[in-house]
Amino acid sequence: MNEDKNLVEKTLQGEQKAFEMIIQKYQQPLLNYIGRMVGERELALDFTQEVFIRTYSSLRSYKPQFKFSTWLYRIASNFIIDYWRKKKIDTFSLDHQKKMDRDLPPIQVPADEESLVTKFETSQLRGRIERALDRIPSSLREVFVWRHINELSYEEIAEIKGLPTGTIKNRVFQAKELIRNLLEETP
Amino acid sequence: MTCLSIEQIYLYIEKELPSAKNREIQKHLADCPKCQKAVEERKLLIEAAESLPAWETPLGFTQQVMARIFQARVSPLSWLGAVVSGFASMILAVVLFALVTGQNFSDLLRGSYYTLLNAIKNLSPLLAKILKLAPLLLKILQQFGEFLVKGMTLLISLISPQVQIIIITVVIVIIASSIYGFRRKLFIGEKA
Repeated sequence: MNEDKNLVEKTLQGEQKAFEMIIQKYQQPLLNYIGRMVGERELALDFTQEVFIRTYSSLRSYKPQFKFSTWLYRIASNFIIDYWRKKKIDTFSLDHQKKMDRDLPPIQVPADEESLVTKFETSQLRGRIERALDRIPSSLREVFVWRHINELSYEEIAEIKGLPTGTIKNRVFQAKELIRNLLEETP
Repeated sequence: MTCLSIEQIYLYIEKELPSAKNREIQKHLADCPKCQKAVEERKLLIEAAESLPAWETPLGFTQQVMARIFQARVSPLSWLGAVVSGFASMILAVVLFALVTGQNFSDLLRGSYYTLLNAIKNLSPLLAKILKLAPLLLKILQQFGEFLVKGMTLLISLISPQVQIIIITVVIVIIASSIYGFRRKLFIGEKA
């Protein structure tokens, strides 16, 4: 964590090598997130570059009391939201999501719950999860990717999204249940 | 304890519960096959999701980003510097050439032109043969060209304009000197 702050400081002092190290450290997790949000490799690579350019341009506004990775991921998250808004992608309805956050009751395991996961081989399961991910609402996909692909803590995701931790947990659970239910329908 | 909610199952799997609650759930799971099955099912889902293949960045990605960031920051004044250094290095190259060889640079250029023209004339039968293979050669050249352009673009983006001009000038002088040396050797051969 302090290493990141040192790199930021050195970059601001004019050491280009320091920013190169930041790129090397975060290019993979950023591409993993952006890639799964946009689904196209070339576009994802281009967006990842754009996020680094935005990060560099606004480096002076970074406040060292916050974690650098969280700040960087927030830039990436906002970038993706901007992209969806420009493309008018309907799946990212914040109002609808807020309603879902409020209305969700604690779901009990049904007595006759069907096995949807155990029937697939691991490699088959991975493929189905990838395809199911594309079909769930973007707001749920995003938190799922942060949590289970990028392996961030709920607290970190809450900070990136500026939402309470409970809401994030709720969304991640919804995402997982949706994916689980889509596994069979997904070819 | 009643059966687990989906939320409790996920919190249990991800070790997000206080230890007392955790023990309570473990106790319940020991007696409840339905919840056991539900936990196993979701554990597998999470394990599979966490082992999804990573999106790999291509080789040279960092350099591409760095080039985009720092190329955009080249000020118009630095281009003026590039032009000045270009002229300076050309003049320096011509003066150095004249001092080392005692020859006029323009004579050398004219001589090189005629040498090349003669070489093309002599090589015309070979060129005719090459023309027959033109489609294949073009394809190879196109691929080589694309590769070269990509490489050069990356290289150029990493080097400042001033250094680029100096490198180009040095390469031109080396080529010109080689042609001059080659011609001189031929000339000596003719004399002998």
